Amino acid sequence: MLPQSSSKAVVARKLTKSYVTYLRRGLFGRDKKVVKALEGVSFDVNSGEVFGLLGPNGAGKTTTVKILSTLLLPDSGEAYVLGYDVVNEAVKVRRVIGVSLSVERGFFWKLTGRENLLYFGMLYGMDGNRLKRRVDEVLKLVGLTTMGAEDKLYEEYSLGMKARLSVARALLIDPEVMILDEPTLGLDPPSARTLRELLVKIAHEEGKTVLVTTHNMFEAEILCDRVAIINKGRIVAIDRVKALKQKIADRVSLEILTMLPADISVSSLISSIRKETGMPSEVFAENGGFRIKIVISPKESGEITSLVLKLLHNHKCSVKRVEIKEPTLEDVFIQLTGKTGF
Amino acid sequence: MRLVTLLKAGLTLDLYLFKNNRAAFISMLLWPYLVLALILGMGLSFGNPSSFKQKVGMHIDPIVYFVASTFIALSSLDVMWGISGQILFQRWIGTLPYTLIAPYRTSVTLIVTYIPRYLLSTFINILEFTPLILLMNGLYQGSIKIAVLLLAATIGMFPLLGFSALFASFLLAIKEESNVLSWINPIILMFSGAFYPAYLLPYWARLISHILPTTYTIELARTAAWLGSPDLTHITFLVGLLAGITIVYNLTAYLVVGAGEKKAMKEGAF
Repeated sequence: MLPQSSSKAVVARKLTKSYVTYLRRGLFGRDKKVVKALEGVSFDVNSGEVFGLLGPNGAGKTTTVKILSTLLLPDSGEAYVLGYDVVNEAVKVRRVIGVSLSVERGFFWKLTGRENLLYFGMLYGMDGNRLKRRVDEVLKLVGLTTMGAEDKLYEEYSLGMKARLSVARALLIDPEVMILDEPTLGLDPPSARTLRELLVKIAHEEGKTVLVTTHNMFEAEILCDRVAIINKGRIVAIDRVKALKQKIADRVSLEILTMLPADISVSSLISSIRKETGMPSEVFAENGGFRIKIVISPKESGEITSLVLKLLHNHKCSVKRVEIKEPTLEDVFIQLTGKTGF
Repeated sequence: MRLVTLLKAGLTLDLYLFKNNRAAFISMLLWPYLVLALILGMGLSFGNPSSFKQKVGMHIDPIVYFVASTFIALSSLDVMWGISGQILFQRWIGTLPYTLIAPYRTSVTLIVTYIPRYLLSTFINILEFTPLILLMNGLYQGSIKIAVLLLAATIGMFPLLGFSALFASFLLAIKEESNVLSWINPIILMFSGAFYPAYLLPYWARLISHILPTTYTIELARTAAWLGSPDLTHITFLVGLLAGITIVYNLTAYLVVGAGEKKAMKEGAF
């Protein structure tokens, strides 16, 4: 056990993790491949804060979450939840955490939401009236009671209801620390917004520590008190959202909405832009077209805008909108990781 | 944390599943009769009833023999499916990680939540065969046979718990996704003498049958099938043998399952 500092709910120190995968070669042959998922991940989560682990797919977010949830052993490094070692004191860690790993699965389809929670509550050591009361409380808290969905079979739930039930289960034992892996993944915007509001309420009104992973920058910006940006198994930045944005306060974001002709691929276009401008860029599908985003210095905005527009013109791409914006967390992410969407 | 709460969790889950899924409940009621038909068919396909009696060396009704075998085979299958198959089922529906983060050792969670289901289904199975056994043996002898069968099923469960936990940890460690149990279980039953007495199997097959806990459970049930009056010496001998095997399998499971769980957690099998 780590001598517990009252302000640190989660501590991760130099976590490394590799997976061995095999690539099939012929009928019996196979090639061994080692994938490094985490390469020395370290961070602290303060008690009572919403902490975001932000990164693209395959960055190591889920691996980190599984290690903290005691479902996966790290190759090296240490991690503690409320001072308990996640490897050597796994059972103690399990008594203080609430976990949601997937909003789409993880419940018995032929049980109602309430029955699922009663079952998992017993599995986690709760019983009798205390359990019944707690199930009622969490169903109400996540809004399933208001929706009249608490006694519906899980198989009849919408994705939004499933996500709420997943959060309800994570809350069941009234844990001090909640670990949520992509809790809004796949949800429509209104459901995602409601769930985010709920998480903020849980953290700030119920005093829970919430560790949430996401690849959605917008979500991280409005949900998290602090974020760690993780890329290729390494933490590349960690701070308050405002402070991270401050790091690129001298930059602006050039955004161009464009439509591509059928014979031009997004990846070839984006690599041409990167080659011409020498800037990290990101591309997002939007309104039937693509939004290209480049983080630049305000001084060079004119020059780079003309350069990109010329390039798009040469590729016969129609331009629908050009904007220069204040930096967002998304821009920090692009700047720090050089990450592209394709 | 009390283990009794885990037991209640297992019972609650089963009751909810039966309540909300009547098709599953009805098929569970039909299942024993279907297995009896299969075992009778397979057993009788090896020879006719008179040659069966001749080889077994007793004046025994093959139907009674196979009813007893079916009951024990069902119970044995149930334990193996209930614990090892649970890993596959929960992995498919995505509940496995949430089961594993229960504050107990994984093997404890899997075994203890399973026990109520075993007792429930064993009770239902014996209830289903009770009229048949009483009809063929009369009230007195039939009751004795039912009692010995229940004893066999209950005592036979204990070594199977360890055996199945070993198998479950193996499935976890190799990240198995396919339904290996569906072809392993009939083989285990064959070597255990469910279809034909184990002592009549070839020498090499008998070597395998000696290490399977199901062999002794089925032997106990077989004893029940030909008993005219309780042969306490034979029953005590078999119960003692099962107790010994229980210790061996559960001790091995305790040592090996921990290593299997660790390997699974290291490789990210959850």
